Amino acid sequence: MNIRKNSLGMLTISLVLATVAPATGADWGSLKGRLIVDGSVAAPAALNVNKDTEFCGQNKLLDETIEVGEGGGLANAFVFLYLKRGKSVDVHPDLASSGSEPAVVDNKGCRFEPHVLLLRTQQTLEIRNSDSVGHNTNFQTLSNPAFNETIPASGSITKMFEKQESYPSNVVCNIHPWMKSFVLVRDNPYMTISGADGSFEISNMPAGELEFVFWHESKGNLKDVALGEAGKTDRKGRAKLEIPAGGTLDLGDIKIAPTALGL
Amino acid sequence: MNHGFFIAFNRIRQSQPKARGFATPIHFCSFANKTRLLGLLTAVAFIGGCDQLDPPAFRLNMVEAVSNETSTEYQQEIADVLGGLFGTPDEPFALPSTGLDLGKLRIAAGPVWSDSAGKHLGLYRKHCVHCHGITGDGRGPTARFLNPYPRDYRQAVYKFKSTYNPAKPTDEDLHRVLIQGVPGTAMPSFSLLPSSEVEALVEYVKYLSIRGQMETELIRYVFDELGEEEEEDENGNLVMKRYPLDPETDADQREAILEILAEIVDGWNASSEAVIAPEEAEIPEDNRAPEEIAASVAAGRDLFYGPRANCVKCHGPTGLGDGQQDDQDNWNKAHKVFLETLAGETEPELVAAKSVVADSLYPVRNAIPRNLRKGVYRGGRRRIDIFWRVYAGIAGTPMPGSGPASAGAQGTLTDTEMWSIVDYVLSLPYEAPSQPQQALPENPNAVTSAG
Ligand code: HEC
Ligand code: HEC
Repeated sequence: MNIRKNSLGMLTISLVLATVAPATGADWGSLKGRLIVDGSVAAPAALNVNKDTEFCGQNKLLDETIEVGEGGGLANAFVFLYLKRGKSVDVHPDLASSGSEPAVVDNKGCRFEPHVLLLRTQQTLEIRNSDSVGHNTNFQTLSNPAFNETIPASGSITKMFEKQESYPSNVVCNIHPWMKSFVLVRDNPYMTISGADGSFEISNMPAGELEFVFWHESKGNLKDVALGEAGKTDRKGRAKLEIPAGGTLDLGDIKIAPTALGL
Repeated sequence: MNHGFFIAFNRIRQSQPKARGFATPIHFCSFANKTRLLGLLTAVAFIGGCDQLDPPAFRLNMVEAVSNETSTEYQQEIADVLGGLFGTPDEPFALPSTGLDLGKLRIAAGPVWSDSAGKHLGLYRKHCVHCHGITGDGRGPTARFLNPYPRDYRQAVYKFKSTYNPAKPTDEDLHRVLIQGVPGTAMPSFSLLPSSEVEALVEYVKYLSIRGQMETELIRYVFDELGEEEEEDENGNLVMKRYPLDPETDADQREAILEILAEIVDGWNASSEAVIAPEEAEIPEDNRAPEEIAASVAAGRDLFYGPRANCVKCHGPTGLGDGQQDDQDNWNKAHKVFLETLAGETEPELVAAKSVVADSLYPVRNAIPRNLRKGVYRGGRRRIDIFWRVYAGIAGTPMPGSGPASAGAQGTLTDTEMWSIVDYVLSLPYEAPSQPQQALPENPNAVTSAG
């Protein structure tokens, strides 16, 4: 028998032999890295703004599928913890209340702001329309009920998702079909989105071997991506990584071939 | 539960001896021309590839399979599990937990014939298969030439129903579609069939839907949960080990599969609680005075062209359906996305596998908003039918809902406003085409919408 404290400070008793889950207790670690497109990327194309041109055409709208920042950093890629069906993960006490604040997706200037979003199950999502033109939000999920609703000018709707999704969900506006965004709904906080320079970090994870999904909207799973000494992502865009107790696994610069993004 | 599952597996084992080809990957008609590439099966999914003597077989959802890189072995295992859970087109099966009525399914399934008492059997093949296909994938022999294409039931998304947008249709909804047909499309009315036969067909549509949903879920389950992993063998060498889909021996898999099935079935069972019931007090009387109707039509017109309801953006400034025409419904969009991933594909094996599937797809068609001047309503012309369309939108299509998204939620428009829109929509065919333009001054944001 093994008696120890879990993250909530409560005593848990479990059979040592039955414990195959990552280490629980006080040992937490982080993962970081920077995604870099290994090659030149053409400037994003202008979108075909064919509706409400007077309003939506005010700002020159560009295709946001592939956002490459300075030094080739790949923005808007999702990195998140993979868990087998029905499995859960210990959550660091600091993160226990993450997702209690409502998140917002705004229809602003005929694009979704933000373009990519992380959401917890049970977290409130407000879908807002700051524009003076009407929009609709068509949210295509796999596990939760999908919906497609009108969001009038200056209006908003609120949503909550009960189940987690395996991948980011595609959100579109059908009145302005060039508008799209991606929202990842998970029931744990271990997920992130690469920033403008391609860097990402997930902190306070239970140390030990964990598996992560690398995903980008251009082609979905980022497969066969070399992760230095840590190996590479498999054909499903997943990689098993050893998260050090009290430390950070730094994957350094991770090079992505333009072809992996369909370029 | 588990017991039933075992029985299901044993049953399929008995009825499908290996010699009849069940255990070989080519028991789907469409797999006749098979090439093996990178463990991926490319299937030539044309119609009529079956030998006349072979009993018709369900075919695999190759768009999903190839997108998820489902290997030949897994395809076979998925087919086995589906066979165990649902049987074959000639011998349908359903676990009691699905709530499907096997008696009805047997009347609808199988070859067309009449028994000695004159009872008609094989109804689906008699009335539906040439459009909707054996598998219910909307790929019957005549499908390619129709617009809209016959429905692919496997996503379990239905357009003309009384329930909230994401909810499944009720049995009555499907019954109504069969009796009325879908006016303005190839989907005929089956009002001459006895209602017992319509009920059997409704049950069979649900069966094909649930089977199709299960298939997609299994493909995703295999992708997410199973696969090949590097492992050390007894000599310490790294070898690839494949984790088969084998619920018969793996209790965890069995539990997961039954859970997935239960979730799908729950969705269908919940439809009767998801029916949109208009607020009694707001339902317009049948015997309204002409002035009252005119006022409602005028209010509806303002909404239709205004920035709150936004109908004008898609249905156009004169209701001709010539607004936003650049979008697709879910079925066509899925194929468009598939073709796009093929265009960006660089691995030769995947290019080959995806190309074969791509070649079998029908041309992608845009979703054209309805021309509301024709007065032809695919989902029925009663006021409640139009009300449901405005309230919930049309599931699977670009058309959004304006009412609450679920019971108790906040909607964009009130019931009264939506009934006014219904009045306006029903009056639109009789309105002079110039009239909406005259409404513009009252509504500066309406058509041009520069804020
Ligand atoms: C001549 C071709 C044809 C035949 C025969 C046919 N259908 Fe259809 N069916 C269609 C088309 C086309 C649609 C798509 C209509 C649309 O999307 O607006 C459709 C749609 C449907 C729908 C979906 C309705 C909804 O609300 O979304 C159901 C259910 C259906 N058919 C059942 C049947 C059944 C059962 C039979 C046989 C009794 C049958 N169909 C025979 C062409 C056909
Ligand atoms: C984003 C685009 C879009 C918007 C906004 C929109 N529609 Fe539609 N509408 C469609 C499309 C597309 C169809 C055809 C769907 C199908 O049958 O496949 C349709 C179909 C319809 C139909 C035909 C129903 C039938 O039974 O044939 C009606 C009526 C209708 N819309 C009314 C409205 C009204 C009223 C509004 C505003 C409250 C509205 N629409 C807003 C796209 C839109």
